[in-house]
Amino acid sequence: MSKNQLGGQIGTDPNFTQTTHTGHSKAGAKHTDAQPKMKLTPEEQDIYDGKKGDLLQKAMKTVVAYGELFGSEKLVDLGGAPHMAVSWGSDGVEPLLKIYKQLSDGGLKTYAPFTADPKPMDPVNLPVTDQEQAAVDKIYNRMDELADLNKKLGMRNQNDWSCACYLPEMGNTPKRGDYLSWSESSAINYVNSAIGARTNRNSMGIDMLSNIIGKAPLFGLLTDEGRQAVWLIEVKTTKLPHPEMIGSAIGMKVMEDVSYIVGMDRFKSDIDAGYLKDMGAATASNGAVGLYHMDGVTPEAIDKGRDLLNKGYQTYVIDDAELDNIYKSYPDLWDDPHGTPQRVFLGCPHMTVDQMTYWGKRIVDALEKAGKTKVAIPTFMFGSIYIKDAFEKQNPDVAKKLKGYGVAIPVNCPMMWCSTPVEMNERVATNSNKTRVYSKARFFFDDALTELIVTGKLPAGVA
Amino acid sequence: MTQTTFKGRPAIPGSAEGSAEVSHIGFNTCATYVDVLISGSDSGVCQDHDNKDLYGHDLAGKIVCIPQTIGSSSAATLFMIIMEKNIQPKAMLFANHIDSLAACGILMGVNWLDKTIVTVDMLGDDFLDAVKTGDTVKVSEDGTIEIQAAS
Repeated sequence: MSKNQLGGQIGTDPNFTQTTHTGHSKAGAKHTDAQPKMKLTPEEQDIYDGKKGDLLQKAMKTVVAYGELFGSEKLVDLGGAPHMAVSWGSDGVEPLLKIYKQLSDGGLKTYAPFTADPKPMDPVNLPVTDQEQAAVDKIYNRMDELADLNKKLGMRNQNDWSCACYLPEMGNTPKRGDYLSWSESSAINYVNSAIGARTNRNSMGIDMLSNIIGKAPLFGLLTDEGRQAVWLIEVKTTKLPHPEMIGSAIGMKVMEDVSYIVGMDRFKSDIDAGYLKDMGAATASNGAVGLYHMDGVTPEAIDKGRDLLNKGYQTYVIDDAELDNIYKSYPDLWDDPHGTPQRVFLGCPHMTVDQMTYWGKRIVDALEKAGKTKVAIPTFMFGSIYIKDAFEKQNPDVAKKLKGYGVAIPVNCPMMWCSTPVEMNERVATNSNKTRVYSKARFFFDDALTELIVTGKLPAGVA
Repeated sequence: MTQTTFKGRPAIPGSAEGSAEVSHIGFNTCATYVDVLISGSDSGVCQDHDNKDLYGHDLAGKIVCIPQTIGSSSAATLFMIIMEKNIQPKAMLFANHIDSLAACGILMGVNWLDKTIVTVDMLGDDFLDAVKTGDTVKVSEDGTIEIQAAS
């Protein structure tokens, strides 16, 4: 099976890496190693024993058994609010929907209102042909059912579908030290690294059960020792590295291990939430990284510095040539490798307001400089409804011009859109490594994408 | 006939006996069951054409021996689907530590769908060197694996 050829496979980590996918390597583990049993509090034991009902008992037993497989000895109380990766209702997730229904019928809810990943389609802002829509409707034939179940299980409200749920405008922002049981690899990576909250990389199913009981097994990235770095990443680039490139490089090298990155504090004033979001998403899509520390930038690195590095760490040096090699290694999976791009997708994970502002002004300026009043290729900037509203309020003139020039702001997931069977053969150009990894879309840098948006063609030497 | 014994951790304890299907590369759950995911197939035949060891082999009711699972996180859901359809392997034997995708999917199937896949992990690389497709493998509750060579 080659990458990106699963015909509509949806989910995370298509890189086929041999990791535990928990963000905490278990390489070298032996069956003779101690296999601790979970020690439950009296309240937890009552749930485990069925005194609070069959459903909670099943949820507790599943979470406890899962934790014990990874060496957990106790549960911890969850803080903040949950975030769930499941955002597509299809027959493919039938067993999950069935379990959700059991939980919902039992009147159970998550410990706090939750947010969820963006839906796969946005028929208003990213419409497709009637024929395609009919096919898409068949694939995602259970969206309403999922939305209804989510509502009953505690979803915050029906606008809360975004992978960048932690942005202030979305409001699902955990505090440093909060224990979480999140799914969605990029969000996990961001809140662990940029905020200092604590969540493992959870799979579908275990996330909901943990959030129903309000507890998660303590292991991996929830623990101090699990947050120690085993890789030192020395950044020796001549300028601020492109977040997608450096993230991609780190992900490919360390797989799921925690790294401590040095050499980035030189660029601290240019490293914002959008940078950390995109870099982290690339580490989590080209690898299975759940946490990194950046010297002088991320909170735990600011407090503890190199004490976060374990003895015997490995070192990886990233320079300009290494990043150039990473970019050159990206395959061209378009059916017609030299075909003209058909769409430009900007923002995956969902954009921040600053990123939307940057791209909005960039597109407007480039079009006006070229004397154009329309984009030459359908162009889309992806963000949550809340980000879109904030962007339009803060930049009314740019937003108005963008709309007039033909730039749309969909609220769905570009990566899922690109991997939906009826759309997967479109030639999409993107600024997102994550979208590239999970689909046939090709990654391009900002200058090439801007020229494409203005002229409809990629610059010579890039196509 | 020679018999070889290995010991691992009974992740999902149980007894099982059957014919081995051995992969020396990571078991890509989504690629293996891609037809189940996309077209609702009821077949347990491996569709992962990158996996030369298992491609085209019917894994339903077999003892699947692998390093660990790899690929998309929708694998957890796929384990639930194949268990619900009763096309799952009888047992899955991991040379490495079980990964979270398989752990979650199999545990969800066991606890919520009343189905099972007997699972033993941390059997070591030597296990995959010893076991061959077609061997008879007996799995015991305590994680002991007995391999009876086919010839």
